[in-house]
Amino acid sequence: MRKFCTGNHAAGYVLAAAGEANRNARGCVAGGYPITPQTEIMEFLRGFRFTKGRVQAVESEHSAMAMCIGGSISGARTFTASSSNGLMYMAENVFMAGYCRLPVVLAAVNRTIGPPWNIWVDQGDTLALRDTAWLHFYCESHQEVADTILLAFRVAEDSRILLPAIVAFDGFIISHTSAPVDLPEQADVDRYLPPCHVPHRLDHDRPQMLGAMVTPEDTAAHRLELHEAMERVPAVLEQARDEFREVFGRQPDGAISGYRLEDAETVLVASNSIASTVRGVVDKRRRDGERVGMLKIKLFRPFPRHLIRQALKGAKRVGVIDRNVSLGSGGIFWLEICGALFNTPDLILQDYLTGLGGGDVTPEAVENILEDLLARRKSGEPCWKVKAYERMF
Amino acid sequence: MKTEVNQTCCCDALAPGRRVLRAGNTNCPGCGMSLALHWLGRALPDQPMTLCIPAGCAVVTAGAYPTTAYGVPAVATTFASAAAVAAGIRIVENLNNDPGLTFCFAGDGATYDIGTACISAAAERDEDIIYICYDNEIYGNTGGQRSSATPQNAVTTTTPSGKRRIKKDMMKIIIAHHVPYAATLSLAHTDDFVRKVRQAASVRGFRFLLIHSPCPTGWKSDPEESVELDRLAVSTGLFPLYEVFEGRRFRINVKPDFTPPGEYFSRQGRFPKVIADPELASRHIREEWDHLERMAATFPAD
Amino acid sequence: MIEIVILGRGGQGGVTLAKLIAMTYFLQGQDAQAFGVYAAERSGAPLRAFVRADNQEILCRNQITEPDHLVVLDRTLVTDHIASGLKPGGWIVLNSPDPPSVFAGEFPGYRIATIDANSIAIACGLGTRTTPIVNTTILGATARVLGETFEAVRAALEELKFVGPNLESARRAYETVSVAETPAGTCSARSSSRSVVTTMSILDPDAGIPPQTQTGSWARQKPMQRSFTSPCNQGCPAGNDVRGFLAAIKEKQFDLALEILHRTTPLPGVCGRVCPAPCMDACHRNELDEPVNIRELERYVADHASPAAAAAMNRNHAVAVIGSGPAGLAAAYHLGRLGYGVTIFEAGSELGGVMRTGIPEYRLPRPVLDREIEHVLEHGVTAQTRCKVGKTELLKFSQRFAAVFVATGLQEARALNLGIQDSTHIMQGIAFLDEALTGHMSLKGERIIVLGGGNTAVDASRTAIRLGASEACIVYRRTRAEMPAIKEEVDEALEEGVLLKELLGPVALNRNGNGSGWTLECQRMRLGEPDQSGRRSPVAIEGEAGRLGLPCDRVILALGQLGDLSLFPEGSEVREGETLIGLTGAPIFAGGDLASNEGTVAAAIGSGRKAAWHIHRTLSGEDLFPKETAPVVSAATIRLTAFQRASQARGSILEPAGRIRSFNEVRVGLSESADHEVAVLESQRCFTCGACTGCDICRANCPEGVLTRRGTDYAFDYDYCKGCGLCAFECPRGVILMEQL
Repeated sequence: MRKFCTGNHAAGYVLAAAGEANRNARGCVAGGYPITPQTEIMEFLRGFRFTKGRVQAVESEHSAMAMCIGGSISGARTFTASSSNGLMYMAENVFMAGYCRLPVVLAAVNRTIGPPWNIWVDQGDTLALRDTAWLHFYCESHQEVADTILLAFRVAEDSRILLPAIVAFDGFIISHTSAPVDLPEQADVDRYLPPCHVPHRLDHDRPQMLGAMVTPEDTAAHRLELHEAMERVPAVLEQARDEFREVFGRQPDGAISGYRLEDAETVLVASNSIASTVRGVVDKRRRDGERVGMLKIKLFRPFPRHLIRQALKGAKRVGVIDRNVSLGSGGIFWLEICGALFNTPDLILQDYLTGLGGGDVTPEAVENILEDLLARRKSGEPCWKVKAYERMF
Repeated sequence: MKTEVNQTCCCDALAPGRRVLRAGNTNCPGCGMSLALHWLGRALPDQPMTLCIPAGCAVVTAGAYPTTAYGVPAVATTFASAAAVAAGIRIVENLNNDPGLTFCFAGDGATYDIGTACISAAAERDEDIIYICYDNEIYGNTGGQRSSATPQNAVTTTTPSGKRRIKKDMMKIIIAHHVPYAATLSLAHTDDFVRKVRQAASVRGFRFLLIHSPCPTGWKSDPEESVELDRLAVSTGLFPLYEVFEGRRFRINVKPDFTPPGEYFSRQGRFPKVIADPELASRHIREEWDHLERMAATFPAD
Repeated sequence: MIEIVILGRGGQGGVTLAKLIAMTYFLQGQDAQAFGVYAAERSGAPLRAFVRADNQEILCRNQITEPDHLVVLDRTLVTDHIASGLKPGGWIVLNSPDPPSVFAGEFPGYRIATIDANSIAIACGLGTRTTPIVNTTILGATARVLGETFEAVRAALEELKFVGPNLESARRAYETVSVAETPAGTCSARSSSRSVVTTMSILDPDAGIPPQTQTGSWARQKPMQRSFTSPCNQGCPAGNDVRGFLAAIKEKQFDLALEILHRTTPLPGVCGRVCPAPCMDACHRNELDEPVNIRELERYVADHASPAAAAAMNRNHAVAVIGSGPAGLAAAYHLGRLGYGVTIFEAGSELGGVMRTGIPEYRLPRPVLDREIEHVLEHGVTAQTRCKVGKTELLKFSQRFAAVFVATGLQEARALNLGIQDSTHIMQGIAFLDEALTGHMSLKGERIIVLGGGNTAVDASRTAIRLGASEACIVYRRTRAEMPAIKEEVDEALEEGVLLKELLGPVALNRNGNGSGWTLECQRMRLGEPDQSGRRSPVAIEGEAGRLGLPCDRVILALGQLGDLSLFPEGSEVREGETLIGLTGAPIFAGGDLASNEGTVAAAIGSGRKAAWHIHRTLSGEDLFPKETAPVVSAATIRLTAFQRASQARGSILEPAGRIRSFNEVRVGLSESADHEVAVLESQRCFTCGACTGCDICRANCPEGVLTRRGTDYAFDYDYCKGCGLCAFECPRGVILMEQL
């Protein structure tokens, strides 16, 4: 069903459809708490009439995730949405969901963390939760949000995975902007998503305690178990994409997506909506004869090192656009790519910290980045001062 | 024919069956919370029940993985969020018409302090859970720091000269939400205890049970006196036993003798030998009772 | 580097001990390290602590698996694998009162030191009796064996602000630790074993496996169920199973209650009316409100239950009983139940002794006495009245019977010289009561003075009232508080108008000059120092102010009685339990008031029963004397809070105005009804001290849930009992005790 709507509306719609799809199993439950720029998602969900489900407005994000945990360990499909400081308040329970392998799906509308208060976008909020054993998907567009939410449920709830998933997208740029979206029909969602099955859900015939005390050795073994589940994600994601195409007739992007990458010597790595901007610049420069390409990273956790290494095999220069920073080090996507490409000392790999706190990342800014990258003889420290932000510095 | 005051123990409440708490658990000898779990199980022997247990002694009770001392399904939740987790569980169980009850089983730390916002919200939403607080008036699990449930004058590791402020009145906070049922419980008044648990189980919505739970380790008392301390807490008037329906109607269950509070304090090492103003304790007891009695007289439950 | 592992339990101060040991080295300039391993356990659970000390910087921060020495704070932690990893020749310091040689076999190849740290810690007031804090004590012992000076110990303690008793406990241990310097044997190869546990998946959170820790190993004391004698049973001179018959009433089994009484006493109806009830004085319910009204319940059972029929038996031995008072009747009854053929010889015209002649009918109706005497006679007992037995008869009986029991009571009344001999105007109390029985006596209009303070004095005064005396006055040389008479009897007497004049001693009885009556000259008294009986002695007030004359028409003496020993050979002494020596023929026993002058029916019954046992043992060899009895349950172990206050049921009593007109029974007894509700409710006030009733309060209050019950037998699962003591504390009737391990 083609609609013209905001990213939030699309996210809310698909979350609801996914929840409704579980009406013949244990149903669905969401705990939610408003925060700009996610609020409309919760409002949509609260207005939706579930056959077998409930979306509860609670008093904090911490309780919102707690309610999802309760619902999930009871065997229902669970989801919520948050941003920025809300995600931080939720953090303790985000870890719990991950470490307890409860397949909650969280629509995260990226917004910078404060104080000082700022409602505009950067990726720092979800990236602060990168160690929680959750899957991370970073979406470029409205359509990608709608489609990836379904992928997220499908992969998270898969019995080989059983890890929760964040589906992140830009605050305002996607969340509050209206654009055309193909929203899925309920019947198709019903076909696509199998009933939610949480194998370790509470059972009165076999009483167990979730989250009991363990020894250091047990914890180490559990971390390995989570790691091994993460390792299975790429394959399951591929399967999920194939099934998606069968049902919906289109296939959303997978872990990574290359744009004009095959013969590119110079590559810009981007994520979220900046990827769209970069596509435009790539086309322009290609028209000028440059061998430029883009690598979009969509799956951040597990970080697809192998795929990235493969994608960047032919590149001589790689510029990573990070709309985030781990203070005291550098952009987080760059840090992760460094880890993936540690065996490529001849590659120029440069980090560009761009649009922190929500500044508009224009095509000019991207071109400036490209210019800087092309001028470099070797890799340097992360670049903070990208021209087009001159008024900041 | 039995002549003892607590008749419950001689009826089917002690019949063998499911144990909520199994032997071999690592609770301290004489732990009030152990007794509370046994009585919970005795009050509701046939009900499936789930316990949402926030960080605190009751999580550690379960023991080391892969064993558990709980004979019912349990979830160890993060410290502040037991009520929300329980609500989530209950929502799904209600959607699926699952029988049984969902409990929070929380200490005073989780209830009176870090979880207050969560419990208040759950109460305001009238979530269909039974919230049980085993109040041992201290952060027991972390070695004995004060909570807002710690009584005035008590010495803890963070109130070495005795707590300055009075004990927070959690019942008043809960009943301000007009929840269907709220009650205080004593481990020395087990007929009353069992009746109140069953009363809570018989209604829907948010129910709150506050158990006064002696802690020999935290209170520096003799383990064998744990039940006696509850007896004294009630007879001195320090811990009133009462119920409130809909936050509006009151019933006092036991009229205290107003035994001098020194009887109670002297058996615990946490109260200094010389309390700065002993009259203050008695006065405070009387004031609270005056208030409670007026409420019960003006807004009776019966 | 020196490495030490400490094994202890939570609450014993093991981690602090590590700090203290480390501190001794630190203060001497070494690098040191002290830490513990923490997990989920609480007080009582095993834990480990570690100490390292070295001249060089210590870089290792791992747990110690191969220590040089091992310190064990709790003897219950001693198992054969605690030394795994310990280097050969190392010290094992143990908290134990046993000498090191006891452990040599278990730990070959190691030097062993032992110290009774628990006792020292308790003596120094460290911790509680059940959880002594032994760390500073062990510090002293450990420092000694490791060759440290006590100064180093003191310095460490002071640094951590452990002074006073802590220092003292360390010093005592330092000085008295027992050591076995030379290792016995050689170590077997022990590697520090680490058990391998497979971690379950996160998806299988805990597999629901029940706890594997046997927390019984934490306990320092264990509960034992015991039985105790109840104070009422202990206090009953007749040896009745008071607790037992009350329990039968609780179950509404009145015939069983009577049967239980009949195992010891043939006279429950009598005692239920006249006994001073020492059982009620002893009753632990006195601590809560009022004692169980045992007397009234005994009476109720006697009056309402049906006795079992006496068994028919072949009676081969004949025994003579001299005197048919309560001692004689009881002896005859018990001997009859044992199969002897008994003949009672009674000097008077009717059986019953002092019960018939000395206790007025308004206290003990004759039909009640007759019924119970009849019951005795049904047990193979015959009686001959008007048969006084003197020396000659006694010797003949000793040839004719297999045994003789003499229970003639106190036949001689104490005389008093009042200056004149006049048997009309000065009478002995017992003789007066005897004559009152005939129904032919009237004291119309007389003013009667009764001298004495015992039951006979009270009985005489109340009888005088009933016989028409215009005034009956008890004159006693001490005060009411010292009167040995039963308190209720005195109350009833005063209600009936009897006067009591205290602190007056009789001097002389003089006829009035004008011919109208007599005057008893009295000496005023005051109370001085206590005498042998423990009561304060009366001391005369000298001078004119000390004299007082009381008008009267008759004086009755009730000053006590003495036994008549004339039927025994010259110079005989009568002692309970002894046989007469120097005679041929059957053994002769004496009992009752004649032997021990305890003055109550109950004591006489007890005496008669013992006499029966003596005779039976002498004749058959069978010893029926009770073997060691359990101690009496202490009132302190009765948990009064388990019981609700309830006032004692009382029998009702006739109005004084009405009752003095006749000799009808004054006390009506407990209210009757078809369901015996009043009696049953009163019996439920009995705590059943010292005997388990299966009330399950122990089981209900066990935090570990380790008690199970079959009937009134409790079993404790010691594998899991932590020794908290709640079962013992909460037991309403004191039948669970904690024993130190």
